Amino acid sequence: MKAALAVLRWFARTLTILLLVIVGSTLLVRFAPGYLSDAREMDNRYATEARSQLSAEAARSRSLPRMLLGELRGPLRGDFGISRQFAVPVSELITPRLAVSGGLLLRGMSLGWMMALCAALFSTAGRNPLLLWQAPATVLLAIPTAALATFCLLADSGGPVLVMALLLAARDFKFLDHALRRAWLEPYVMQARAQGVRTSRLLVAHIAPALASQLGALASLSFVTALSALVPVEVIFNVAGVGQLAWNAALNRDLPVLLSVMLVMALAVTCSGMATPRKAEWESA
Amino acid sequence: MKIRASVLWLLAGLIVAASGILVLPGTSYERQDRDATLAASSAMHRAGTDALGRDRLVRVAAAFLLSLAGAVVASALTTAAAAGVGTLAAFGRASMGWTAMLLCDVFLALPWMFLLMMVRSALPLTTLPAQSAAITFLVLAALGWPASARAVYRGALQLKTSDWMLYARASGLSGAGVVRHVIPNLFPLLLPQFLISIPAFVMAEANLGALGLGVGEPLPSWGGMLFELNNSPMLMQTRWVYFPIALLVLVLLLLEGVAVEA
Repeated sequence: MKAALAVLRWFARTLTILLLVIVGSTLLVRFAPGYLSDAREMDNRYATEARSQLSAEAARSRSLPRMLLGELRGPLRGDFGISRQFAVPVSELITPRLAVSGGLLLRGMSLGWMMALCAALFSTAGRNPLLLWQAPATVLLAIPTAALATFCLLADSGGPVLVMALLLAARDFKFLDHALRRAWLEPYVMQARAQGVRTSRLLVAHIAPALASQLGALASLSFVTALSALVPVEVIFNVAGVGQLAWNAALNRDLPVLLSVMLVMALAVTCSGMATPRKAEWESA
Repeated sequence: MKIRASVLWLLAGLIVAASGILVLPGTSYERQDRDATLAASSAMHRAGTDALGRDRLVRVAAAFLLSLAGAVVASALTTAAAAGVGTLAAFGRASMGWTAMLLCDVFLALPWMFLLMMVRSALPLTTLPAQSAAITFLVLAALGWPASARAVYRGALQLKTSDWMLYARASGLSGAGVVRHVIPNLFPLLLPQFLISIPAFVMAEANLGALGLGVGEPLPSWGGMLFELNNSPMLMQTRWVYFPIALLVLVLLLLEGVAVEA
């Protein structure tokens, strides 16, 4: 009964957050000073068409409750509106790109995690000075994602997956290193080491289960970090994913596309965040 | 403590040097030398010039000061908002705390890069460069407070149940009196939040600018200078295009050094 109630509360909170995201984003966009302006207005060839579309948009959004209702109803039916730039349904633009971005995220996160875990294990289990591992991570974190991606592109070494993996590995290493250092100093782990239990056995049987919930929270945080890195990485490496679509929409003021991408991202972040109750602890770490 | 002092001295030195470069007579970040576009280092242009013939050293100095000032102001606003929301949520009614934390969750559910792009693209086409700079940092401040507010909320809740606070409230302390005593006790929590936000905002502005959505030209910004790296002919002609990114990494390392020490 308690578990069912907890699940019910989880769903209620997720739904409330998503509802507020839709309402908040719609209001933010609708009342932004540049909402009823379009880059095409500056080009004589497209200005008339753009202005007529904008006036139709203005008429549609005159009644705020009706507009909000439309925005809430649309995503439920899979209708995200029409792209201002390409004049096609937004869902047609987003769906194929989700698979591309999803694949990039999955590969980037897997490689990043593997690198971070290996580095943290070597850093904490060996006798190497901490600085040897900390210094590269600190320097990597001080390089903006866009710059890192540009360097990799110019050097012709490494693609979008490597850039994303490096970024995530540097960030996750700091957390993992800290957590593992604490875990190795736990009295029961020290006792087991003193009794001669093998390191691999210690890791699998004692340390990994103790850190499981923290690792889950870190995975959720990694996902949010990777989502933010998605835009510069996809733009610089010319990957036809959701990040590149959002960037293109931002440059061309295609707000229906931007709004829809944001809703999809908010859904992904909310689901990943809610799966791990200790996310907040990591964020304040 | 020694490291923090050295880092602070280095940062102060950079600020003085950048200010010194900008106040030198005849320097301007938007003046073009059309006979020396994409020039390498010379006596006239110590770090060369960009594709429009503008002095790179002067632009880097201006970008450094603009970005730092913007990030500090945005960070101060974020910290103030986080302190206000966190304290109100902890000391107000339970429903207020619940609502505040739900609001934080809503903001945290929005990936900041996408939200920033949406807000920037919804600005009027006639936005001036100075306005775009101000709006960029204001938007960063508006999006940065929820994580800090959560940390402040937890700290304030601990204070609420502390012995001295229970005694003070039992003695009749309420309202503004409580806040007057709580805020100074939250300083050890607020200072790291403030310092951590500064490099994060500098980095966010650089990433946004590198995508062409940050501070508008001709105002110099880190992001705008990262944008230069996409120009391959320029990279072949002069290696000085890497100077801004090298300095940016140094500045970020110094700012992070200060934050970590705090």
